[in-house]
Amino acid sequence: MLKIDSLTLERDNQLLAYNFEIKEGQILAIQGRSGVGKTSLFNAIAGFLKPRSGDILWRGESLLKLAVEQRPVSLLFQDINLFEHLSVKENLCLGFSGDTPYEQLLEAAAQLDVDQQLNKRPGELSGGQRQRIALIRTLLRPEPLVLLDEPFAELDPHTRELATAWVRNTAKASGKTILMVTHQTEDVDRMADSSIELKQAVSQTE
Amino acid sequence: MLIKVAAGLALTAVVTLTALAFQGLIGLSNEGPDWTLLSDPYFHQILQFTFKQALLSALISVVLAWPVARALFYLPNLPGRRSFLGLCLLCFVMPTLVLITGLVALLGRSGLATPLLDAITGERWNLYGLNGILLAHVLLNMPFAVRVLYQQLQAIPDSSWKLAAQLKFTLAQRLRLIEFPALQHAALMLCGFIFILCFNSFAIVLTLGGGPRSTTLEVAIYQALKYDFNIPEALTLAWAQLLIAGGLYLLISRLGTTAWLSVDTDTRAYTPSAKGSGKRLLQLTYFAAWLALLLPILALLPGLLEDELKRFELSELLYPTLISIGLGVTAALGGLTLAYLTLKPVRDAVISGQRHRQLLFEWLAVHNLVAPAMVVSVGLFVFLLPLMDLDRWGILWVAVLNTAVVLPFAIQKLKPRLLQFDSQYHLLARSLKLNQWQRLQIEWPFMRSVLAPTFALVLVLAMGDVAIFSIFGTQDWTTLPWLIYSYAGTYRIAEASLASLLLLLLCALILWGIEQLQRPHKLSDKKPPTKGTHHA
Repeated sequence: MLKIDSLTLERDNQLLAYNFEIKEGQILAIQGRSGVGKTSLFNAIAGFLKPRSGDILWRGESLLKLAVEQRPVSLLFQDINLFEHLSVKENLCLGFSGDTPYEQLLEAAAQLDVDQQLNKRPGELSGGQRQRIALIRTLLRPEPLVLLDEPFAELDPHTRELATAWVRNTAKASGKTILMVTHQTEDVDRMADSSIELKQAVSQTE
Repeated sequence: MLIKVAAGLALTAVVTLTALAFQGLIGLSNEGPDWTLLSDPYFHQILQFTFKQALLSALISVVLAWPVARALFYLPNLPGRRSFLGLCLLCFVMPTLVLITGLVALLGRSGLATPLLDAITGERWNLYGLNGILLAHVLLNMPFAVRVLYQQLQAIPDSSWKLAAQLKFTLAQRLRLIEFPALQHAALMLCGFIFILCFNSFAIVLTLGGGPRSTTLEVAIYQALKYDFNIPEALTLAWAQLLIAGGLYLLISRLGTTAWLSVDTDTRAYTPSAKGSGKRLLQLTYFAAWLALLLPILALLPGLLEDELKRFELSELLYPTLISIGLGVTAALGGLTLAYLTLKPVRDAVISGQRHRQLLFEWLAVHNLVAPAMVVSVGLFVFLLPLMDLDRWGILWVAVLNTAVVLPFAIQKLKPRLLQFDSQYHLLARSLKLNQWQRLQIEWPFMRSVLAPTFALVLVLAMGDVAIFSIFGTQDWTTLPWLIYSYAGTYRIAEASLASLLLLLLCALILWGIEQLQRPHKLSDKKPPTKGTHHA
């Protein structure tokens, strides 16, 4: 289980508060207006942002004492996910500490219709293609907890349907726990087991 | 972890080198400085001449560079424009001894153009003294100023030129309202920077100074140490040099930096054009600049036909050439490695937002910019003299000190690229849990486009060294620049010309490599598209 326990974060002189939990293997959609602190929450879970108070518990253990590299988290950033000077294939193979699951990566690339792009540089790809490549890597990394920050924002309706189905199937087959930020209700309907809506910042800091 | 330890060791080594040099300067291990020299008229005369020649060199270089930069900007279709910019780069970084030999062959006592100058001036032309020093300094630094001013003009937005055209600005209005505001900061910086370069100039003053009346601090230090064996006098002069040059450097560096090695951008949507007599004047300026830069180089060629060269054994050049290349490559590789390592704590501080820490580490890494190479060499020489046989180990210190001298240049070139990598990819790299080795493998292709030209630049700088070699060098390990100096000093101009052409050719080849490698890479520099203002 992932438990966000009375967590407060400070951003731009505002205090953001979170309190929820999600069972292992579940997919949780996180919604809320822009600026409400969805990305900040992901940064805190991944270890990039130090909370002001509260705790983040994974399988009963606090993640706060762990460095970014030690956390069981795979994060899809909102913008930069690919190294522009490396080929798409090289990008795809990053982030695997042990053996790289080439077969699985290639299969996923074929399923998401980006298998023809592997020898190109990211700069030659469309926004949607880049996003699918990043999505494949994020999902197939061995981390049990996956954070997806607007993973389908650049996709057309057809590819969106393809990608949401692939993410859900892959997550369920491997028992991954997914937190996904999205503004689209249809993504929530297609993919999520549950959803929460984050409210506006709780208070101003001094 | 390993890289942090290596970074710590690198930083410690750089700081220790300076600390040892200072120990030598303070005179703890030997005789101390002779402070009574400061009130000696000899010292005042040296100081006055050092300031005078540096100030005049800086002003003349910038003033002459301005019309040339304008010609390059206003007339984009000038023939050989790209080659001219390449020549400017070559002239600025080429070993000074090459230019000196060229000038002596052209304007020396029996120079090719000396009779013409005698006729024009109506008296016997003398290259030695202030004339020659200024001429050499201007020919070395004006091309640098041309590149900087040209880039400043290029940076003026198209919209300003369009508006000026719309409003029918006169030439005076364009100069006052557009060009002057764009150039004034760069011109001031340039003057300051060239002033410091000329203040610390060694080989030119040593060769073309022509006597005690035209001596600078740097040459006086060398003479006190190597000819008079007067260590207290050398130390006093070195302290004066350090305080003045270091103080000036700190002052100038507060004003900002100038970019001069960046890629020349030829893509402009709208170019204001010159017409009529203005256009012809700019064309004339451009061709005159070509001639001025090329003549000293071309003047080396007749030397090759001299009879003396028939008896000259080419193998005499082989050993010094190999030593120069070996020393240059050692210093360049060492400089790049040290730069990468000493930048590690700087990058960590930037990532964690520790501004003061960043500035401290940056300063520690580039601090020897403040201390001229001659000063550090003298300090270290005095410190090491009682400890080891410098005739035997001197060459090792030439390599070490050249590494230290090129380090700030390497840092200046690598830093922006490494910081760009961190700003774009640090979070991603950490999120992917890449270890140091994997991270290096990703950084390498990202850095390659900067590493190669930086290597070439510091290689050329190190290969041209004369100042450090003059203190630590020995006859057994003569470098090519020092060999040229020896030839020129004994009026063997034909041999000096041949050796200079060889050194020039080596540098030109390396710099040609820079220009090739600096052409924009199709995709590697591209920033990934972002999703506008979408923030959760």
